Amino acid sequence: MKREEILAKVQKITATILSIDEADCTEEKSFTADLGAESIQSVELMAGFDADFDIEMDEDGALSCNTVSDAVDFIAKYV
Amino acid sequence: MKLIIFDNDKSEFLFPLTYLRPSFELKIGFDSLGDKIERASGDFVGKAYFVRDILAATVKERNEGVAVNDSAALSGDDLLVVDGRVLVTKAFALPDGDCVAKSGDDVVLAKVSAATAATLPSGSVEEFMAAAAEKLDTVEIDIELMAFPWDLIIHNPETITADFDAMGKSGIEGNMHPMSCIYGPEDRCYIAPGAEIHPTVVIDTKNGPVYLDEGVEVFPHTRVEGPCYVGKDTQLVGGKIREGCSIGPVCKVGGEVEEAIIHGYSNKYHDGFLGHAYVGEWVNLGALTTNSDLKNDYSSVEVKIGGETYDTGSTKIGSFIGDHTKTSIGTLLNTGSSVGCMCLLMASGAPMPKFIPGFSWFLNGRFSRGAGFKSLLKTAHAATSRRKRDLTEADVELLKAVYEQTKTERSKLIRRDSLAMLKK
Repeated sequence: MKREEILAKVQKITATILSIDEADCTEEKSFTADLGAESIQSVELMAGFDADFDIEMDEDGALSCNTVSDAVDFIAKYV
Repeated sequence: MKLIIFDNDKSEFLFPLTYLRPSFELKIGFDSLGDKIERASGDFVGKAYFVRDILAATVKERNEGVAVNDSAALSGDDLLVVDGRVLVTKAFALPDGDCVAKSGDDVVLAKVSAATAATLPSGSVEEFMAAAAEKLDTVEIDIELMAFPWDLIIHNPETITADFDAMGKSGIEGNMHPMSCIYGPEDRCYIAPGAEIHPTVVIDTKNGPVYLDEGVEVFPHTRVEGPCYVGKDTQLVGGKIREGCSIGPVCKVGGEVEEAIIHGYSNKYHDGFLGHAYVGEWVNLGALTTNSDLKNDYSSVEVKIGGETYDTGSTKIGSFIGDHTKTSIGTLLNTGSSVGCMCLLMASGAPMPKFIPGFSWFLNGRFSRGAGFKSLLKTAHAATSRRKRDLTEADVELLKAVYEQTKTERSKLIRRDSLAMLKK
């Protein structure tokens, strides 16, 4: 899967779970500091990425992704 | 005579209580099924266990010097071989010769001489028992088989009473404040040395005995109704401990509890109702966690085990909660709920699903794998090390194995709910 395809999916999932605009989910944004994800929502983001990409990410690695870009790079290892 | 107690695949009908322990380590009354089997067996010389392979290392570690899954134990001695699911509160009354006893189709006991044992297959305890049943006379004995989790709840009140009578103790050897009272026959109460009963505590023995073991502390405004057994170093921190409870050791329990068995090191500190329930070790029930134990139409309660739904035949059944599970404040558990081990439940206002696979999080009304197995293990290490009972390597390996064992049932629900979340 191409990086831009992964990015588009990550943005869509993030916007859905955090109830924000997709356009706000740019690559440099931090899930917690910029997009307002609380710890429980981080868990939901991981669940959403797992389900949508049909993968099972390593939890420690997934939960240490700070930015949208980090998440894209991490998911790219699985797809 | 050598005593052999066995656990096998049939103990899987006791899930979630037997994921991390063999059937004979399940508690009922004052102690475990295995303790009662040992007492009922009289003077035996030597003991051996047969357990599911997944449990062998932990059982071996917890029982130094006891042979575990060693087929050599099935020969060379006179043997009494007993199914670990057997509940027995009196000495086995067995004839002099060789015999077997059954519960339904299950061969649950075999008494065989060394000479007879030598003629039976010793490859596995199941083969041994089947061959013994073919060869030997079947006798009727006074036992109950704890085939399902609810059997333990149903038989707990009478078992507490039987254990109290067998123990033969009564009176106050601990400290009982003069402003507390025993309401009912005083000889149906035993307060062990080191137990501390605060003012305004009521110990009600009208309908059954109450045994408060060493180091138990009962705080003000607690009513303890018999039959009841409270294990060592447990604190009852206020509320109604109604009839039929076995609690502890080392628990902190408050609120309203009725006909419940709570294994050691588990806490239900706050208000909230727990009834006709069985709780494993290292469980924490958050404030106001409540289970239903009666359906609004008074029909018999059903419980899901291993993908199948079973009718308990009882109208009063609460929840079965596996070891290391934690619930948040305000968690509502449905009638006949089965919660696996190491779950993390966060209340959403609605009752939880009736079946929650082990190691899953239930969050915002959805199943999730949460922060994953490593995070759950870290929490378990934190909880156990606080009580100087940290998990051993064998415990960790068992948890990993059960995590894999329960993966399919868990993943299916997690994926379903995660996809639903994305469609919102």
